[in-house]
Amino acid sequence: MAGDEDDPAKIQILKDALYDAARENGSEARAFSQKDLLDFDIIPADNPMLLLRVVQRLCDDKLFVGITQATGLAWRWRNKEDAKKYTSLPNDETMMVYAVIDEAGADGIWNRTIKNKLNMHEAVVKTCIKYLETKGYISSMKNVEHPNKKMYIKANLRPSERATGGPWFTDGELDTAFISELTMIVFEYIKTQSAYRGSQAGGAGAAAAAGSGAGATKVPKKGVIRGGIDGGDSTSSSRGVKRTATDMSTDDIVQQQSKHPTAATKEKPKVFYPMPAGYKHYPTVTEIAKLIHETGITNNTTLGEADIQQLVDVLHYDGLIEPIRVNGRKGYRVTRAAKQDASSFQKRQQERQQAGGVGLPVGSDDLVGPPPTANGLTEAPCGRCPVFELCEEGGPVSPSNCVYFLQWLGLASSEENTNTLAGGATPNGVAGVAAVPGLVV
Amino acid sequence: MLVTKNVAELCSLLIDELYGELPSRIFSILLTRGRSSIPQLVQYTDMSLCELRHGLAVLLQQNLLFYQVDSNSEKAMYEANTDHAYNLLRIGKILEMVDSSFGAPAKDVMQSLLLLGQTRISDLVAAYQEKIDQAHQKLVKEEADPFLETNGVNGDSHAPKRLDLVIKTTAQLNSVICRLVEAELIDVVHAKTFLTPDDIYRDVEKEVLDTHFPGGPKGGKAKIELEEKIAEGLRKVRGESKSLKRKLEQNGTAAKRRKLFSGGGLSNGVHDVELDPALDPKQVIRINYEKCLVDLRNRRLVQCVTDTIGDTTAYVYGVLLKLLTKQLPRCRSDPMMDITEDDKDDCGKGFVTTDEILDSLKTSVDLSVGLGKAAKDKFSSRAAEKVSGHPPKKKIILEAEIDGDASADEEEEDEGSESDESDSDSDHKPANGTKVKFAGVATKENRLDRPGQLRQHLLLLAESNQHFVRHCGYNDWTVDFVPLMDVLREAELDSVIERKSGRQGLRLVRILRAKGKLDEKTLPNLALMKKNEIQQKMLEMQTAGFIQVQEVPRDNKADVKKSFFLWFVDLEKSINTLLDTSYKAMLRCVQVLEVIRQKEKDVLLLTKRSDVRGRERDVMRKEYYDRYARFQANEKKLFAQVMRIDDLVALLRDF
Ligand code: SF4
Repeated sequence: MAGDEDDPAKIQILKDALYDAARENGSEARAFSQKDLLDFDIIPADNPMLLLRVVQRLCDDKLFVGITQATGLAWRWRNKEDAKKYTSLPNDETMMVYAVIDEAGADGIWNRTIKNKLNMHEAVVKTCIKYLETKGYISSMKNVEHPNKKMYIKANLRPSERATGGPWFTDGELDTAFISELTMIVFEYIKTQSAYRGSQAGGAGAAAAAGSGAGATKVPKKGVIRGGIDGGDSTSSSRGVKRTATDMSTDDIVQQQSKHPTAATKEKPKVFYPMPAGYKHYPTVTEIAKLIHETGITNNTTLGEADIQQLVDVLHYDGLIEPIRVNGRKGYRVTRAAKQDASSFQKRQQERQQAGGVGLPVGSDDLVGPPPTANGLTEAPCGRCPVFELCEEGGPVSPSNCVYFLQWLGLASSEENTNTLAGGATPNGVAGVAAVPGLVV
Repeated sequence: MLVTKNVAELCSLLIDELYGELPSRIFSILLTRGRSSIPQLVQYTDMSLCELRHGLAVLLQQNLLFYQVDSNSEKAMYEANTDHAYNLLRIGKILEMVDSSFGAPAKDVMQSLLLLGQTRISDLVAAYQEKIDQAHQKLVKEEADPFLETNGVNGDSHAPKRLDLVIKTTAQLNSVICRLVEAELIDVVHAKTFLTPDDIYRDVEKEVLDTHFPGGPKGGKAKIELEEKIAEGLRKVRGESKSLKRKLEQNGTAAKRRKLFSGGGLSNGVHDVELDPALDPKQVIRINYEKCLVDLRNRRLVQCVTDTIGDTTAYVYGVLLKLLTKQLPRCRSDPMMDITEDDKDDCGKGFVTTDEILDSLKTSVDLSVGLGKAAKDKFSSRAAEKVSGHPPKKKIILEAEIDGDASADEEEEDEGSESDESDSDSDHKPANGTKVKFAGVATKENRLDRPGQLRQHLLLLAESNQHFVRHCGYNDWTVDFVPLMDVLREAELDSVIERKSGRQGLRLVRILRAKGKLDEKTLPNLALMKKNEIQQKMLEMQTAGFIQVQEVPRDNKADVKKSFFLWFVDLEKSINTLLDTSYKAMLRCVQVLEVIRQKEKDVLLLTKRSDVRGRERDVMRKEYYDRYARFQANEKKLFAQVMRIDDLVALLRDF
């Protein structure tokens, strides 16, 4: 019996069988306990000693990974390719480093953490990492949460969402250009879908109808800061206006077609009107997500509904759109419909490009929606004054030496000697008598 | 009104501007020292008794003081009335409002009242009589001497030119006053007008205690009763200023007069002036700012609808508001007096019907403009016609949208099927909203008749997220001013934030408002902004008082380096900060005016000379005249700005 157990050929067979069984019974993430392995009925007579020996051999071949769980020891299997990588490594240190990186999975691991975990000297870790990197087993990565930490990940893994920050990040940086581009499109869609574009003369929609024929489009790629305006078709989908004839009240259609057959090309002053109460077709997040998906704007990033919700929420926080619930259906509509810019998206895009601005510079936010409302305070110099808190009569800045007010009143240039003001006496204003020369008489 | 240093300075400067330095000095002393007697004032101000009395008289005349006579020592104590002092700013706005809704004669009367302060009716009549006589004389003179036409007296704005007086007879004056009294824009000065609210309260309390509870109130029930009695007493005092109005209303012709009044064309009312009862000449009248504010608030709301929805809807809203607030005496009800009061007697029936609005619309206005169109089946009339019988219970929070529940009720419901909106986040849902179903109302055809068009505008107002209107019965409409004004205040704050910190700043503030306290880690993901940008913005906005920060220590040692920092917004605090910022900005405008006045002193002195006054253009050398003209333009600009800031203050504080 004893010789039987030691027979290398037999062990080899058992080994292969056990490995295959484990592979069939779960993914690489599954941990098999001793009982699980015995239950495969591969080990004759459920002999634990024999099992241990087989498992030991598997671990030596790096095909099994031992882990400790609350319930005791357990094992996971590892695919052969990876196992081969392990066995090809020159020394134990490298192997250990690789194991730690492997374990960290898609989140990656910080080199300092590796050092601490293995209790190795920094130089050793460094050489190991260097070896692994040149071999192409691991690669460095960036984690948005810790942009300054040097992180490593197994080369064949994609960094996790947590590490990359999700669809809004490119190379570990928040892709603001991509976001603002997309936000603009979402806003434009909501605007045109939630308000009625018309002029006094006739119905709107000619432009919309003309555009609706066009198919899918190219609008900026992820990270590319360019409005895709190579043809008229881009407007249709970015504006997303597909108001079909049936959507419109009949007399509207008749009117616009008879009066303005080419309203799309003719520049007429257009305005937006709010929809009457009870409108059921304010765009929902699902619809917006569908639009974005269909247009393929985000060709190498997939955006879920939750991501679109994020964008929509941002627009809401910006005060540009507002949620509206009609019969329990939560749609979004534009705020201050009547104040919206009704010229076409395409035209504005062109103007933007002509102005030399390629895409939205970070932080400039006036390109979407109407300009913010003003009030008395924001118009007055003090409302925008950078030294407002300091301004005090008798202080370093005060109304009597305020330059902002002089500018505002248009007095700045004509007064060269503002210094004399503090003294209270103007050059030629001494007393009533002195003023007499001012008279013509 | 909370009197901060900025308000105090502003008020004193305003008084200086309008009534001269002497009253202004007394006023500011009263502000800093609080309630004082004349001997005390003498001590504080170094003025002679005579000067002091003179100043006090001016202030009293203009209603800028409170005083109380101590019953024992018979000595009067004076106190500054900052509310009224601040109201001086609004004169221009009130005049304009009166002009547009009551006509030029009414404006003229109001203007005289503003100049004279509180006035006995007989004095007012005498003043006008004099004016009329003068005009007649002048007319006669001018006819005799056609050359003495212009320049002479022209500079004085109150000298009448020819007979284009707005008030032509004293009978007309009488009738105009009657109307203004009925509209509550003018009320009566009575014995307690000059008592501070606190003093009135104390008096009333004392009286109630003496008559009803000689041994003091015992037990909880008696206390409640005491409160009610006090409230009633206070109401009585408040009601005294309306005595004239009541008297007029008892007169049978009130309704008829009112009709003429709102009819707009005042000139044809001249023939009926005889119908108005002659007013008691001994009554002392003054302007009632409380009621003026109601009208100013209406204007503000209309302005807001113009901005958010459109002109036509705003016009409809204006008509609605005018009808609704006709009987509304003040913007904010007094927490003490108006608890038990049944609103019904005081403020009319509390809603307006569709027909009433329809009857008051100008026929020239085309109601079909200003709304979008779409096929009938794109609308849910059930949703549009939802009736909310009760005002919202809690404050409407625009952003209180709970994420993620949208999909639960995504199905498109049609009128027929039942989906009672039991969503947790429909804040505006009334406590027990009665749902009335009127299928297909007014949407039967694409072309709506006028009532149908009107209805569309009203429903749109009701559907707005701001809740400009509440649809409280099938044909009834009302406005819940308190939550609505909260929304507007917030919007105003937002626009200041947006101007100062950009749209991204606004975004961060609104996120905090919606989510409550957040630490720095959560924000970038919600705002889709870079971390360092957020940090910078947050600090900037903290300095400006838009957001607040709270330190939460991680352990007992409270190590600052380890603490969490939570950002949050305290709306009330932000609004108060904004209010004081506004005061300060106004103050600076007035101060700057003073500065440039100093600078142009020589020119201004020149224009004060009697031989220059009124003919500046001809007499002054060109460069001097140009400076003078420029000064005047600047003065105008600065005052206009102060007025504009006051719009903000009014919204934040008074509406
Ligand atoms: S420095 Fe000028 S603009 Fe700034 S607060 Fe003072 S007066 Fe206003």
